Amino acid sequence: MAALGRAALLLSFGLVLYALVAGTLAAWQRRRRLALSAQNALIAAFGSTVVAALVLWSALARSDFSFTYVAEHTSRALPLGYRLAALWSGQEGSLLLWLLILTGYSALAVWLNRRTRDLVVWVVPVLAGVASFFVFMLCFISSPFRTAAAPGDGAGMVPSLQNPYMLAHPPLLYLGYVGLSIPFAFAMGALLSRRTDERWIVVTRRWTLAAWTFLGVGQLLGSHWAYVEIGWGGYYAWDPVENAALMPWLAATAFLHSVMIQEKRGMLKVWNMVLVALAFCLSIFGTFLTRSGVINSIHSFSQSPLGGWFLGFIVVCVIFSVGLIYLRLPLLRTKTKLESLVSREATFLYNNLLLVALCLTILWGVVYPLLTQAVTGETRSVSKPYYNFFLHSFGLPLLLLMGIGPLVAWRRASLRALGKTFVVPAVAAVVTGSVLIALGYGSSTPGLLAYTFGAFVAASIVLEFVRGTRARRALSGGSWPAALAELVGRNRRRYGGYLVHASILMLAIGIAGSSAYQTVRERGLHPGQSMNVAGYVLTYQRLEQRQESNAVATRAVVDVSRGGSHVTTLHPGKNWYPVEQMPSNEVSIYHDPRNIGDLFTIADQIDAKSHTLFLKVLVKPLVNLIWAAGFLFVFGALVAMWPDAVEQRRLAERYAPGAAAA
Amino acid sequence: MRRSPARLVIALSVAAVLAVFILYTSVAGAGTPQIQPSDLARHQAGDVMLVGRVVGAATGDAHASGGLHFVLRNVQGDKSVTVPVSYSGTVPDLFRAGREVVVEGSLHNGTFVAKPGSLSTKCPSKYAPAKKST
Repeated sequence: MAALGRAALLLSFGLVLYALVAGTLAAWQRRRRLALSAQNALIAAFGSTVVAALVLWSALARSDFSFTYVAEHTSRALPLGYRLAALWSGQEGSLLLWLLILTGYSALAVWLNRRTRDLVVWVVPVLAGVASFFVFMLCFISSPFRTAAAPGDGAGMVPSLQNPYMLAHPPLLYLGYVGLSIPFAFAMGALLSRRTDERWIVVTRRWTLAAWTFLGVGQLLGSHWAYVEIGWGGYYAWDPVENAALMPWLAATAFLHSVMIQEKRGMLKVWNMVLVALAFCLSIFGTFLTRSGVINSIHSFSQSPLGGWFLGFIVVCVIFSVGLIYLRLPLLRTKTKLESLVSREATFLYNNLLLVALCLTILWGVVYPLLTQAVTGETRSVSKPYYNFFLHSFGLPLLLLMGIGPLVAWRRASLRALGKTFVVPAVAAVVTGSVLIALGYGSSTPGLLAYTFGAFVAASIVLEFVRGTRARRALSGGSWPAALAELVGRNRRRYGGYLVHASILMLAIGIAGSSAYQTVRERGLHPGQSMNVAGYVLTYQRLEQRQESNAVATRAVVDVSRGGSHVTTLHPGKNWYPVEQMPSNEVSIYHDPRNIGDLFTIADQIDAKSHTLFLKVLVKPLVNLIWAAGFLFVFGALVAMWPDAVEQRRLAERYAPGAAAA
Repeated sequence: MRRSPARLVIALSVAAVLAVFILYTSVAGAGTPQIQPSDLARHQAGDVMLVGRVVGAATGDAHASGGLHFVLRNVQGDKSVTVPVSYSGTVPDLFRAGREVVVEGSLHNGTFVAKPGSLSTKCPSKYAPAKKST
């Protein structure tokens, strides 16, 4: 079986190499049949990569420990779901998943756009070039199909990975990371083919949106995983590996906004090329970070020679994209200029600058230890205060712009019109801020500003929906819900965007509430003893132990009451994994509907002999808004992505042969 | 010909970002040194992030007044250099002999006194499979 896997990968390598060479030659010499052949080779590479992935999945499912990868990452006691998920729990398997998604995306993108020949002809070699790098690594540097004499059992999976989130978080992140290759390839294809109009943006809009959504949801699931599994009460630690996913997401967010200016006004062509290249290079940079071990992270990925290869690949990508953008600068010049600093496009520009500034300051924080090591010979690192400072400096104005941008007119807006537009959101913001101060919540300035700006954004979004629905109802009659559905259906992109904005607003409110206004208490307890935390009384009753399929579970029984009434019983504790010889913290959480927050309990230390428990308790108001925001985020993104026949017809006419000349 | 104000906006924004950054790094602090036990002698004053590997068994109780006591050695270079550490607060699940840890604090009379709750182990998540003891 391992030989079949190796052969499939070698075939993939041959196919993508052919697609790269033949595709370049075909595009260069305008040879249509050769171009078609290169396209087919790229599509076929997906098939052979599927075979390789199936071989590894089959070995994992059968616990075939003659595969070194299977022996190192699974054990017989591991449930089937986790055995299959082990495909992405190791370095070699993760690379294979990357290649699988990349070739799958490439095949789909090329097939869907096969009629836009002049553009796709250059997209094929770009995608094949990226795929060549990954399949080369899999064939010659880090093969998942190494074999050895099979041990009696495997090493198992790290306990913190034995969580249902393991089934979804890594693949979603990969779908996002790899998805950014498609807009990058089309952007480079547009430059190579000299078709620098808006067509490449139109073609890749949904690809970018999908990749951005996957990356966003993947990060949110990762945060929730850390929240419920790691047992420290937080959900984001500004760790370099976490930042590695955040940076391309921020760059892609900026790109998604700035392409609207190019579509609408034909501006920011160079900027958009830079952003799409930045997002792609940052997605590769994230992989470099995790593989090289050059940055000190709590995520201890093993150091491997892959880091150097990835660094080399990033350098090639940067030189290629910067060089190509520079060569095509004359084609990227725009005739349209920014007419006013108070206009829709100007607010989008401010939004872009803030997003990129936030992205680059995070990048600076991530590489800071490397730079200080290189300059001073001593490694210094920045931590939470550094990141929080810039999050507040750039994030809060971004939040406010989210409410301002959609309401400002294109080209130029008068101050009088602005005053009229913003009176309701401004009043909502001032009232919210004043009420919070009056209620004693003014202790955290960033928290107060977040809520005040949040009220502004919420009011502006609601206002947009109300105005739009009223206008739609006036036009076509019918009920309010029908008018609202029609409004969203006819302007999916716009109102999908508002829903995504609403989800980001919920996220911001959840983060502000759970971090600025949380309560933390910890105490050692004997059975029968209680502790008070933010109005809750927690009484430790006893310890319980049970055998689970792959672990021994010890749980403390903690009764929770409030105002003399029983609320719930929590079971914080620890698991012991005998195969892996590792413990794992198992937190217990009560979701309080009163404050949309959590009562979060951690059994910090358990003494099984004396039955004493050191209990850490966190009360985190509004934290569940963060997770709820994820659903709205996905819903909004789906609305914005959903195919629109009217839009398709309009675009088809716009980019039809001869349309430009007409 | 009238120039676009976009250039001005971009230039001012970039300048503002750089100014804020320089202000931050010069006023608010320029990061915490990450050092190994062998470098502690050069950092007698101020807090540092100490990176080391746990040697032998830890003693004491991290939640009692005396705290938890353990020894860290260099991860790289001269691995014979060690330093005793005193710590109180949450102990990560994965803390044990042989594990690489990071802890923040400062040196007092030859003992590294850690800030409460600052101990973190490098989480052996993916790409670092657990090795079975033989």
